Amino acid sequence: MSRAIRVSVALVSLSCLGQLVAWRAAFGQRGADVRLARLDSTTRIVVAAVVDSARKTRLPTEPLVDKALEGAQKGADGSRIVTAVRGLYAELRSARAALGTGAAAEEINAGANALHGGMPMRTLSQLRSVSQHAGRARVTLPLTVYTDLIARAVPPAVASDVVLSLARAGLRDGDYAMFQRNVRLDIENGADAATAAQTRARGAALRNVGR
Amino acid sequence: MRNLPESWIHRIAAELRRPVRLDEEFDRGVMDAVRAMPRHRQRPWTRMLRARTITVSPVVSGIAAALLLAVALSAGHFISAVRANRATGRIDVATDRSGGTKPGPRRSVQFVLVAPTARKVQLVGDFNDWDGSHQEYHAQHRGGGVWSVTAAIPEGHHRYSFVVDDSLWVADPSAPRVLDDDYGVPNSAIVVGGGDATQ
Repeated sequence: MSRAIRVSVALVSLSCLGQLVAWRAAFGQRGADVRLARLDSTTRIVVAAVVDSARKTRLPTEPLVDKALEGAQKGADGSRIVTAVRGLYAELRSARAALGTGAAAEEINAGANALHGGMPMRTLSQLRSVSQHAGRARVTLPLTVYTDLIARAVPPAVASDVVLSLARAGLRDGDYAMFQRNVRLDIENGADAATAAQTRARGAALRNVGR
Repeated sequence: MRNLPESWIHRIAAELRRPVRLDEEFDRGVMDAVRAMPRHRQRPWTRMLRARTITVSPVVSGIAAALLLAVALSAGHFISAVRANRATGRIDVATDRSGGTKPGPRRSVQFVLVAPTARKVQLVGDFNDWDGSHQEYHAQHRGGGVWSVTAAIPEGHHRYSFVVDDSLWVADPSAPRVLDDDYGVPNSAIVVGGGDATQ
């Protein structure tokens, strides 16, 4: 082999290796969220690995980063942050399993919140099928209503039934907003949270049937 | 052959070793006959597929191996990067926990906290990556211990809290609490807007 060929082979090899290093650097930076710099190095590595797993399995990554940042701002230690992020990752996976692979990121996130709030996986799947049957493409809003009811001290079993009945009635976005507002006002006026939710749900469903 | 005397064998071998000389006419005749035969044309791929021995020095073979490895790794990285890009692209657009740099329709929301002894109140939540250092999330003292801040919050369900004097985390007393005890500090919940896709 002539000297010129050897030199050109060596140059091509070096350029390929340089390209490889550049690729690694570029995608390494892109893969690790810069916001995670707020975490200590050990926690950052573990959280980044969980986020990477979520990305590879096409789960939403933003809630995981958000959970880690919340812990960092609240001064939680690394192990607690890792436990919280892993727990959320498991809930995101469960939510997608219940909602189906076609679920949007916002639905998966809302589903994970609902599971965290005590909604059974079976109810989550039911909510998806009932909503689709009633002509609703996404279940984000019903799940948000569920989380709101739980936050207002409505028991999970009651909140699940209420949200399912609202979905069966085919409520529109405005109806959900009105239902939420009415339940909030009832509770602020001293009503029992579960009773307020059940009563307002019956009213909303009846109103929708008449349309 | 075993019965032949040694001297005979030597004579036969010497005779066989003797060069045979053919006259030039014979050589020319043979070559003319060969040239007159139809040519066997090799197709390009036949030549490429034909087995042959290549001699390569250790240095060149090492460089070639490094080249192949680099190309293979680059291809692997490229494929995984494209896949990851597709995955995150699909997710990031739709995510609802938005911070200051995230897309989505926003609505102005006023947050109020009564904290008579506070010197500083910041609003933090999943909409600003729990970082209240930006001026737009600093609450203003309205007098009488009332602090308020109006911020543009993306539509959707959010968790938030107040940070008083850079150290004390306080949930909004006028909003429902989130059942989220991951870090032992309560958050409040808010639903901004009611946007959702319907068929």
